[in-house]
Amino acid sequence: MTTKLLVVDDEANIRLLYAQELSDEGYEVVTAANALEAAEKLQGADFDLVVLDIKLKNESGIELLQRIVKERHTLPVILCTAFSCYKDDFSAWLADGYVVKSSDMTELKDEIKRVLAKRQKAATAAA
Amino acid sequence: MKGGGYPLSEVLPYILTEFQEQKSQMGAMLSFLNSKTREIKFLREVGLVLQTSLDLDEVLSVAMTAITAGKGFGMNRAFLLMTDKERRHIKGYLGVGPKDYEEAWRTWEDLSRSNFTLKELAKNFQKTKLTSEKVKFHDILGLLTVPLSDQGHIFNRALRGKKPILVENALNNPDLDRGLARILGVDCFLVMPLISRNRRIGIIIADNCITHKPITLQDMQSLETFAFPVAFALERASLYERLQEEVAKQKSANLKLREQQELIVKMEKMALVGKITSSIAHSIRNPLMVIGGFARTLLKGSPEDDERRSYLESIVRETRQLEEVLSEVLDYSESLFPVMDLWDLNKLLSNALDELGSALEQTGVICQQELSAELPMVQIDYKQISYCVKTIISTALAAMEKGGELRVETELDGDGVLVRISDSGAALTKKAQDALTAPFFLTQEMGAGVGLSLCKTILERQGSSLSISNRPGGGNTYSIRLTTKKETI
Repeated sequence: MTTKLLVVDDEANIRLLYAQELSDEGYEVVTAANALEAAEKLQGADFDLVVLDIKLKNESGIELLQRIVKERHTLPVILCTAFSCYKDDFSAWLADGYVVKSSDMTELKDEIKRVLAKRQKAATAAA
Repeated sequence: MKGGGYPLSEVLPYILTEFQEQKSQMGAMLSFLNSKTREIKFLREVGLVLQTSLDLDEVLSVAMTAITAGKGFGMNRAFLLMTDKERRHIKGYLGVGPKDYEEAWRTWEDLSRSNFTLKELAKNFQKTKLTSEKVKFHDILGLLTVPLSDQGHIFNRALRGKKPILVENALNNPDLDRGLARILGVDCFLVMPLISRNRRIGIIIADNCITHKPITLQDMQSLETFAFPVAFALERASLYERLQEEVAKQKSANLKLREQQELIVKMEKMALVGKITSSIAHSIRNPLMVIGGFARTLLKGSPEDDERRSYLESIVRETRQLEEVLSEVLDYSESLFPVMDLWDLNKLLSNALDELGSALEQTGVICQQELSAELPMVQIDYKQISYCVKTIISTALAAMEKGGELRVETELDGDGVLVRISDSGAALTKKAQDALTAPFFLTQEMGAGVGLSLCKTILERQGSSLSISNRPGGGNTYSIRLTTKKETI
């Protein structure tokens, strides 16, 4: 079964780039342009991980993060943002990972692998 | 002719005696008049200075010279005591006169040879002797502190009575406190209150400790007359001095306020710069990611012999370069606002090494840690110091592309903590070391690898330091010294 990722970013080109690059890594990628769309897609299917931008048009990715953690506390979230300063903001600590946006997506890919492995380990231990 | 001769011969001796008596009386009156004339002249001379001077030292010099100089009241020694600012105590302030016979004769001989007026003497005293006289009688002055509430003390009695008290035969007088006579070392002295407009200004004690000449009623009256202008001038000068102090305090407060205002304006400007930089960075980072990201995707999908690959490689390289500049700009704008707190340095280093774990693995470098277990907490901005440590480790790793050993050590160093990060790569020349840590903004531009320069600037701004040295046996050591601050519980 392929790993299913939800990518939330308000920039269409960035969504396209994520979809392209992460599909190449073997993930099934679904994208959402805003919090509402993300919530709808989360309702409709089971995801293994969410890649979330903090600054969405007219809304905050942090609020969406809080909602996901509250409603689906086992679903891991990686914040991927243009700002490095949020890393120290305690509201961002809810996320499982934090990556600063870069044209070289190696760091994001590594972080996705790390978070998924960690979840897998926790799930195995719980079982 | 017996019984004859001069008819007045029998009364002549009486007349002569009477004449002698009259002559002596005239002489005494003349001397009294002379002394009074001198006193008036002297009081006028001194009074002029006292009336106009606002300089406390000048007033003191004139007053004390007038009391002790032969041309003045000619007392051997005088002490001035003044009430303190809080008006709780009367305290010894200045003593003038010789300490022993030898000094007395030497001073008086010098004075007899000179022809100074009283004013000149006072000026000379202020210039050359005022400070040393304060020190000379330091011991006696220190013992003369009396609370103004001690009603029975002779100082307070004189102040209350507003009249001088002449103390005679003090050591044998059971009614008197002998302590004061013992401190002064004389048994005859005059205690003169200084009162101005009902305010207790101080006390003058005068004595003839060298010549032991008795203090006469006339001396006492003359000094009493003199005490009024002295008290007035002292009060005015000390009020003026206090006013000057207040003005200086006000000036310094104003200066501080202006500095604070300037700082606030500067901070506001810097905050604005930070906000703008952050906003621009965000607007630039997204398009850069798209441009560079797609170029990478295309590059991955293009055949090795495609000549367009070099164009794509250029796009990837240039966008990467722009992203680095952007990160440096953001790091710098964030470094402007350190948030200082107490942190465990060993933990910071372990976290930094964890974060750089994959880079360490890639280079095949072995990491040795020697972290002192007894380090106090350090007062730092965690994020910034973590950035510095990571930048240094990355620099050290870059020097060991073919593998090597990275050493991370911490130790207590006086009132600070020393962090040493060493590599086993090629030793940097002194020139290269200086270039790496040249002050940020002086010699380098953004994107030219400002990493270590920025570290140095950050560390210095937090009161710490960064130095690079060659390691014995090859390699380089980067040393950071951080200050500690004891925890207050």
